[in-house]
Amino acid sequence: MSTQEYKDRQFLAVIGDEDSVTGLLLAGIGHVTAAPDSQKNFLVVDNKTDNAAIEAAFERFTNERKDIGIILINQHIADRIRHVVDSYVKAFPTVLEIPSKDHPYDPEKDSVLRRVRRLFGE
Amino acid sequence: MEGLFFNVNNGYLEGIVRGYRNGLLTGANYTNMTQCETIDDLKLQLGPAYGDYLASLPPNPSTSSLAAKTTDKLVSEFRYVRANAVGSLAKFMDYLTYGYMIDNVALLITGTLHERDTRELLDRCHPLGWFETMPVLCVATNIEELYNSVLIETPLAAYFKGSLSHQDLDELNIEIVRNTLYKNYLEDFYQFVNTHPEMSGTPTAEVMSEILEFEADRRAINITLNSFGTELSKADRKKLYPAFGQLYPEGTLMLSRADDFEGVRLAVEGVGDYKAFFEAAGLGGGAGAPGNMAGGAGSESKSLEDMFYQKEMEISKSAFTRQFTFAIVYAWVKLREQEIRNITWIAECIAQNQKERINNYISVF
Amino acid sequence: MSSAADREAVFPTRQSLGLMKAKLKGAETGHSLLKRKSEALTKRFREITRRIDEAKRKMGRVMQIASLSLAEVTYAVGGNIGYQIQESAKSARFRIRAKQENVSGVLLPAFEAYQTEGNNDFAMTGLGKGGQQVQRCRETYARAVEALVELASLQTAFVILDEVIKVVNRRVNAIEHVIIPRTENTIKYINSELDELDREEFYRLKKVANKKQRDTAASDAEMKQKREDKAALALLDQENQAPEEEDVGGGDILAGEDDEDVIF
Repeated sequence: MSTQEYKDRQFLAVIGDEDSVTGLLLAGIGHVTAAPDSQKNFLVVDNKTDNAAIEAAFERFTNERKDIGIILINQHIADRIRHVVDSYVKAFPTVLEIPSKDHPYDPEKDSVLRRVRRLFGE
Repeated sequence: MEGLFFNVNNGYLEGIVRGYRNGLLTGANYTNMTQCETIDDLKLQLGPAYGDYLASLPPNPSTSSLAAKTTDKLVSEFRYVRANAVGSLAKFMDYLTYGYMIDNVALLITGTLHERDTRELLDRCHPLGWFETMPVLCVATNIEELYNSVLIETPLAAYFKGSLSHQDLDELNIEIVRNTLYKNYLEDFYQFVNTHPEMSGTPTAEVMSEILEFEADRRAINITLNSFGTELSKADRKKLYPAFGQLYPEGTLMLSRADDFEGVRLAVEGVGDYKAFFEAAGLGGGAGAPGNMAGGAGSESKSLEDMFYQKEMEISKSAFTRQFTFAIVYAWVKLREQEIRNITWIAECIAQNQKERINNYISVF
Repeated sequence: MSSAADREAVFPTRQSLGLMKAKLKGAETGHSLLKRKSEALTKRFREITRRIDEAKRKMGRVMQIASLSLAEVTYAVGGNIGYQIQESAKSARFRIRAKQENVSGVLLPAFEAYQTEGNNDFAMTGLGKGGQQVQRCRETYARAVEALVELASLQTAFVILDEVIKVVNRRVNAIEHVIIPRTENTIKYINSELDELDREEFYRLKKVANKKQRDTAASDAEMKQKREDKAALALLDQENQAPEEEDVGGGDILAGEDDEDVIF
């Protein structure tokens, strides 16, 4: 892992419900790359979004984009693609599960916290 | 005199609307609501007022679905009144919906500008601002087409005409477009209530003038405050002020020159109400101290926005003291909207466990 | 006989014994160093996990506050601004920078949030209504995101440290349980082999010495015999040419005998 590799990672990405995305975009993390492909670094998920689309976005943010350092994902959405999130072990980019407005945070489900717990045998 | 024939066409509806007004939640209801521990409790409290509409909600619904359902009730009541309205009341109620249409059109323009599929945007449109030709807007794929062939067909065409070209839609910030439309709409509405033969000189014109003037002033003040630090120039800003209201023309002229919160305060000093608002907000939630309420610290002082809402509710409430007027329809819609906002706010505070600010709702009954 | 199986394939020579001894010493030093490194990392790791646990719990609260401020915007604007926000997002104002921190030779990346100046995609949002709330909400969310970035740094450190500690511990265990015993076994093996060789050599030398002794004794006896025979012969014909004969013959026989012995 060269220094250069994460020097370029200067954006955050977010996969979340509308409110979470709106809030985070307000904070100014939204970025759309230059035309013509104009890739967004955020994905709004609602009940109609199918899991394949979420997985594809997760895949894109974690593996394809080289400019993303942190991926924020709503916990209840992470639950929908739990197997993908759990099997993601790379340190870069970091995947962070965040609570959403309608789904309070549950530490039991967090893949990283579960690792913490397992390590300390709790 | 005006009361002589009012009831021939509009008596029934006035009765209905007054009935609706009595159905609004009272201070006691709100006090009960703020004691709720969960959204389900809140739902139970809302039972008598909203019963059927909330029945289909799942246990512990999200606040947004709660807001959507309460809005549904307003919409269906409004539609009922609208369906029974005839003559100038029907026209008056159409005017009422134009405000929502502006928001919807702005939304669709945004979608078209970014070449999104605007069809999915229809769900996001405010139901009160729905008009028959709205789905047609989705046919347009570029802004020129939208402007030349579609917007012309909408009731809002008059507001575009003369002040916005299709290039403007492309270049100007959507917020400027929206506010230009809104300014034109307010002026038109004002003109309508004051010149329409059935309304001029009646309590309708009187009450509506007060409400609309207040609305115009509020927008002028807000636009000024919010434009600080943006690329909106003073000349452009001036174009967004409605050309009536208590502040017009001296106050708006001063507003157009204001550079900071203090300048705005000076500009509105001529009007007693606003002066009081600014004094109260001077140290608190004014634009001069942004971030004051951020972070959710239980700020006691009310923001300017809150005071405007409070004032609007008081005007709306007093509209019901008048008889033989269409203004009560307008007032009722505004009161109901505020009620929905209050419910959403209380639900939000409960959901986010932020009880210390739960009393920030506005109740006038 | 595990020792025979678990040792390095070396020729049991003195040179490789020296090499093995050096290796054992190196392994022991390495073991203690790595052990210390692992301890330092684990200490750091525990601290990080504790902070993650704390931060994750705190995050719930931070996000709630942020959500409420968004609710405030919805309240003030009187509608949902989500779509407009999504469409007007163009260039990130809030970005992150990765820097590195050195913990016992492990480079831990840490994110640092910074805001670029001058581009504000949402300055106009809520112009007519609720603009102040929008700006406040932005600040609240920016603070929330800062907290999230901090948490992300911790989490990255966690993942990397976890990996590194595993590797280090694996090495420590490998040295402790495989390399050191094996080297010790090899040394033992070499030592025993060398001892064996020593003993063999000693035995051989002894054998040689024995044989030599025996041979010498035999030749001595033979010589004595010859001398006695000669003396007897000389006694028999003492009167004639006895003195010369005696010297030459005795010397020749002796030399011949000796040669044969050496060749054998």
